[in-house]
Amino acid sequence: MKKAGTETALDHELADLPPDLRWREWMRRIEAVLFASAAPVARDDLARVVGPGVSVDLLIEDLMVDLAGRPYQVARVGAGWVLRTLPAYAPVIRAAADIGGQVLNLSEFDLAVLAAIAYHQPISRDGLKEIFGREISRDMIGRLAERDLIGTGPREPRRGAPYTFVTTEIFLAAFGMQSLRDLPDPELLLDSGMTHT
Amino acid sequence: MAGNAEVAAFLAGAALAHLVLVEAARQLPQALWRERLALIAAEVCVAMTGRREGQGALRDAVHLTRPGDDPGPSGRVLQQWLHAAGRPISVVGLGRAVDGVATDSVALCLDVVGPTPVERAAQVIEVVLEGTPRAETEALILADAVLSKSLGWKHALPLLSLALKPRDLRLRGGELRLACHRAVVLGAGQAVPLAADLSRRAVRLQAVAPRLRARGAARAVLLFLSRDALAPSALNFMSDRAARRLCDRLVDLGAIRELTGRDSFRLYGL
Repeated sequence: MKKAGTETALDHELADLPPDLRWREWMRRIEAVLFASAAPVARDDLARVVGPGVSVDLLIEDLMVDLAGRPYQVARVGAGWVLRTLPAYAPVIRAAADIGGQVLNLSEFDLAVLAAIAYHQPISRDGLKEIFGREISRDMIGRLAERDLIGTGPREPRRGAPYTFVTTEIFLAAFGMQSLRDLPDPELLLDSGMTHT
Repeated sequence: MAGNAEVAAFLAGAALAHLVLVEAARQLPQALWRERLALIAAEVCVAMTGRREGQGALRDAVHLTRPGDDPGPSGRVLQQWLHAAGRPISVVGLGRAVDGVATDSVALCLDVVGPTPVERAAQVIEVVLEGTPRAETEALILADAVLSKSLGWKHALPLLSLALKPRDLRLRGGELRLACHRAVVLGAGQAVPLAADLSRRAVRLQAVAPRLRARGAARAVLLFLSRDALAPSALNFMSDRAARRLCDRLVDLGAIRELTGRDSFRLYGL
């Protein structure tokens, strides 16, 4: 990590460059920041590496055009963006190394609990216990929280004020969703026989 | 003979003309009125995202979230609305309320030109949804902000969003304008009686205020006149015990209500 002091040295305006090269350099900076970050980067953070008042959205648009034909793209996640390989290359990446598994490294039951949180958030451990018919350990919640897939939500209005859990933007990014509305419709899942009841 | 569109536009104009008078009434607790309409608007927007939380659950999500925690998808929608309705209309302020929309788009929305306030609002909905089809909450916040601004108000009043249906938001051009004109009439139909009700309650609260002897009671009364709901702990200028006693006393005097029906984690409001 750079120290705060060195940040002031960053040339935002790039006044010595002609306009088209300046724009190109801003696009490169945004691509570099997205490349270096596993989590989605918010507009405000991206705005910090380009000229004041410059539209991050326009730079991203141009960057998207620029990346056409590459095996990766800029994807919108929540209120930010992330650089992501094209879904078509998933089998290729898996053939080379089991990267996806390494990133999450969660058991099937962990993933089931994560899915329950995604659909029923905000939900407490007691709420999860009702769904799964068994105690959901603090360890399991800890594993999901450690990976920043879930965070703490509002307290429940009852004795002990237990915390509820909600999913994060990193959860959206990890599962290739732009918002929670990309979650598959549970009724459709039932119809297609993908869930057991 | 006037067609549907003309009739709807005429009725919307009449509703807005009436609303402008209501808004300017001296007895109306304006900030509280806006917050309560924001709660209704949030419920509508949450339903558009396929979630079913009612107003009580939305209130809880916002009031029971500790600083730094996440109020969850539905609580966030209410926070967006409270943010938009609670601060004077500005590009920066609204930009925070609709953080999925670029600041320059917010500025463009606020400067949209059109023959009438409702037509400007309809244009904003169209422009925002064109770029981001699932940003219904953001589109409605900006549309109501533009409508309010066009009426010369400093703050955004949730109005169109009280009555627009998800299928209305898929309309474009003249059909969307027609839906907006109708929504203004329906929205005013909710906002006007609520204003009358809150004005009566505000008068009642102000009438009992001189009888309260607790230190900080005057500040508490002002807060209740400006907020949809408050936990006693929000009266942080009094001791916890004094705040609870004051809330109970105000309920006994018929000046405020307990809004949750619970024995603990109670929320109070006019």
